[in-house]
Amino acid sequence: MRRTTELSLLFVAVVVIVSTYVLASLGREAEIPANIFPFLGIIVALLIGAHIAVRRLAPMADGVLLPIAGLLNGVGYVFIARLDEDLAANQAMWTAIGVAAFVATLVVVDKVRLLDSYRYTFMVIGIILLLLPLLPGLGQTINGSRIWVSAGPFNFQPGEFAKIALAIFFAAYLVEHREVLAMSTYRLGPLHLPEPKHLGPLLLAWGASVLVMTAEKDLGSSLLFFVLFVTMLWIATERGSYLVVSSLLFMGGATLAWMRFEHVQDRVDSWIDPWADASGSGYQVIQASFSLANGGVTGTGPGLGRPDLIPEVETDFIFAAVGEELGLFGATAILVAFMLIIGAGLRIALTATQPFEKLLAAGITTLLGVQAFIIIGGVIRLLPLTGVTLPFVSYGGSSLLSNYILLALLLRISHESTARQMAPAKSGPRAKADA
Amino acid sequence: MNSQIRRVGLGLSVCFLVLFAQLNWLQVFGASRLETHATNTRAIVRDFGRPRGTIATADGVIIARSIEVESSLGRERQYPEGDLYAHTTGAFTFNFGATGVEKIYNELLAGQTDEQKYGDLSALLEDGDTTGNLTLTLRDDVQRVAREALGDRNGSVVALDPRDGSILAMWSYPSYDPNTVATVDLAAASTSWDTLRSQDPTAPDLAKAYRQTFPPGSTFKPVTAAAALSNDIADANSPSFPASSGYTAPLTTSTIGNFGGSTCGGDIAEGIRISCNTIFAELGAEYVGPVLMREQAENFGFNEAPPIDLTASVASVFPEDFGAHLRPSDKNPDISIVENTPALAQASIGQFEVRASPLQMALVAAAITNGGIIMEPHVLSEVRNVKGEQIEEYKPSVWKSAMVTSVAEAMRQMLLTTATNGTAVGLQVPGFEVGGKTGTAETFSTTNDTHAWIIGFGGPVGEASTVAIAVMVEAFPGGGQQTGGGTAAPIAQAVLAAALQPLTAQLGEG
Repeated sequence: MRRTTELSLLFVAVVVIVSTYVLASLGREAEIPANIFPFLGIIVALLIGAHIAVRRLAPMADGVLLPIAGLLNGVGYVFIARLDEDLAANQAMWTAIGVAAFVATLVVVDKVRLLDSYRYTFMVIGIILLLLPLLPGLGQTINGSRIWVSAGPFNFQPGEFAKIALAIFFAAYLVEHREVLAMSTYRLGPLHLPEPKHLGPLLLAWGASVLVMTAEKDLGSSLLFFVLFVTMLWIATERGSYLVVSSLLFMGGATLAWMRFEHVQDRVDSWIDPWADASGSGYQVIQASFSLANGGVTGTGPGLGRPDLIPEVETDFIFAAVGEELGLFGATAILVAFMLIIGAGLRIALTATQPFEKLLAAGITTLLGVQAFIIIGGVIRLLPLTGVTLPFVSYGGSSLLSNYILLALLLRISHESTARQMAPAKSGPRAKADA
Repeated sequence: MNSQIRRVGLGLSVCFLVLFAQLNWLQVFGASRLETHATNTRAIVRDFGRPRGTIATADGVIIARSIEVESSLGRERQYPEGDLYAHTTGAFTFNFGATGVEKIYNELLAGQTDEQKYGDLSALLEDGDTTGNLTLTLRDDVQRVAREALGDRNGSVVALDPRDGSILAMWSYPSYDPNTVATVDLAAASTSWDTLRSQDPTAPDLAKAYRQTFPPGSTFKPVTAAAALSNDIADANSPSFPASSGYTAPLTTSTIGNFGGSTCGGDIAEGIRISCNTIFAELGAEYVGPVLMREQAENFGFNEAPPIDLTASVASVFPEDFGAHLRPSDKNPDISIVENTPALAQASIGQFEVRASPLQMALVAAAITNGGIIMEPHVLSEVRNVKGEQIEEYKPSVWKSAMVTSVAEAMRQMLLTTATNGTAVGLQVPGFEVGGKTGTAETFSTTNDTHAWIIGFGGPVGEASTVAIAVMVEAFPGGGQQTGGGTAAPIAQAVLAAALQPLTAQLGEG
């Protein structure tokens, strides 16, 4: 049943993606693109491939997530193709690799428990990946952030993969230590705090995210890691005091960074008043605002706007391109798509029976939701701009790959908990027979 | 754990709702503010390679046109008259947006108004050229005289038709050549642009005639006089002020002297004729008072940017506050002596913090000769499509009612006398009825260098004036006491004489 839903939704996604692609080409060249059938073929092949993989490997998984991710990926691709043909070729390749990684994850992680048992391996991997860009000779500074690693012909952002490893580690660690961490033996005014020594992990996570912010100048990832950890800590311990303490820590760290570091000040200044340096630091976000204003309610139509006037529009600012050419309607559709991902992801977390699965599903969903919120908020000047990608939509191999892996993990968790719930009813007699 | 997970869901939902709200603000409710923002070059970039109409003067000289060029940009905007109209046309640039007429009438020039796009169905079907060709109110003959008469002195000339607000000439020196920033050689354009910006805030692309303000000096005295007349505090011939070489306002010991240390006195008409400082300083400070002075100045348009159809015109300034009431004035118990009455005395002769753009002072002259009515100043006359059919015509409208007709007529008589037998005799154009008022404004620099001003009007004898004018020549180091009568009057006279000649159509170049 869920797979039939998935298939029909995938069909809708394909229709939307292909018609946007045709319209975008018409908008620019006034003719139907010559490669429309190969394009259609590839899209259908990739999505159907992913669908078949889910059908075989995780048949009881949620049926909404894959079509929505496919839709976001496809719409993102159409906009990248409309903005830059060369990048589109890369993105197509990365999409294929992303879908392959999705399938591979479903194959390799056949039991969620598997992840739990490698928790410290994941911790080490996560920390290494997080700090990799700082290694001299390997790390690359691009656009002011030292978040790239160069290996041969490829550049990749290890932070994108660190977030997977860390989410798994956090889930495993927190489930194991949740009771100790939840004990409140220590009172500070209205707050019930755990013993100071149990605040260690929180301080460690805070320190790591401050390090990422200052050494790698990557505000977005720093914020993302911290929010991820705190959210998971709160869910695991059910202690609101952690939220209070970590908010204070966050504000302290943010204020300190703002006072001490010029790149943080620049971001904040151009958020508060981008017009103060309209041709410099405020340029990008101002152009994005102009772009969105130009789009209005219904948009200019694909291929008919000028999102190319925004620097980095294919990556961090892809949302502005969608908003300009598809209007408030299209931009809202993107928001709704992410809300559906969040809804489906948290539903998986709620129905999961094992604490580890529950926490991991909630963590992954938080990652996707918060990352989307941070970058969209930055683009539309609700938050200071922090350079993270819009999951599934932005150009970028690392991001696409890691988000497809996260998606596969979510579906794996979904399948297992559904299967477990169905087990007594469906396979009850057979279980008896086995016994 | 489940209740925390639900709350995470709630929290994220709230986050996304806030995103949705902000998106509505950017794309719907706040969109028009962003779309018309000065630094928004989207419409310009969109229109750059497309056909674009010409801009011509009232007498048919093409002053902006688009030429197809061998460049990826497709077309280049050219300004055949170079610097002459730069402050009016503005420039249509690829990287730096557009200013002036190019910005304000961009949609019409580009053929992008709804009426142009959909008004003519045949054009829609043929994918025809919908661009609009603009005719301005400026006259090439008058504009050239203005440039020549001012020469290489920093200053501005504004001539307009007081009856409908049409700008006839508007020239500021220094100007610049808009071709240097509009060229499709984008590197050269950037260099030129950077050069201009390095000279801010006095870069030559600043249209000082309507974008900069200066102390207006004695050309402001008619405003003070009008304030007295409008409120029945005085009329042209009473009261009479005793002859004096210096006026000392209440609350101060420092004295306001007359030009050259002379002694003068008499009624308001006499004060205007010989530009007597002591009369107007006392009149403003002790008879009219701060409230009515400000009200009259604002009726003339001060403290509000003139609604001219060009970019970023600036408001002239009459100070809003001269401090708290201290006691009733001895001379006129209805008004207050306030804390800063000495400054009000200065303001009444166009000094202290009073600032006026040359355009604003031309509008003061226009009000005096046009029965007190100030029409909205404008440069657009009409727009025609490529077939030569008129698709838009500028419709004049009233901006301000500065004075009632009787006061305006009294003021007009005073200025006529000043031009026949007073400080503004240099403005006379034989065969026409001419009025004017000179001004010499101190600049508060350490030197005695002064701005020279003159405002005036002219027209056929016994008929409504057809031209109002303001000329100002800026003070420069070592320039000394440039006077309105000596320095500004000859320039204004030449421009006035040219503008009073009937319009003769020239053969257009394009």
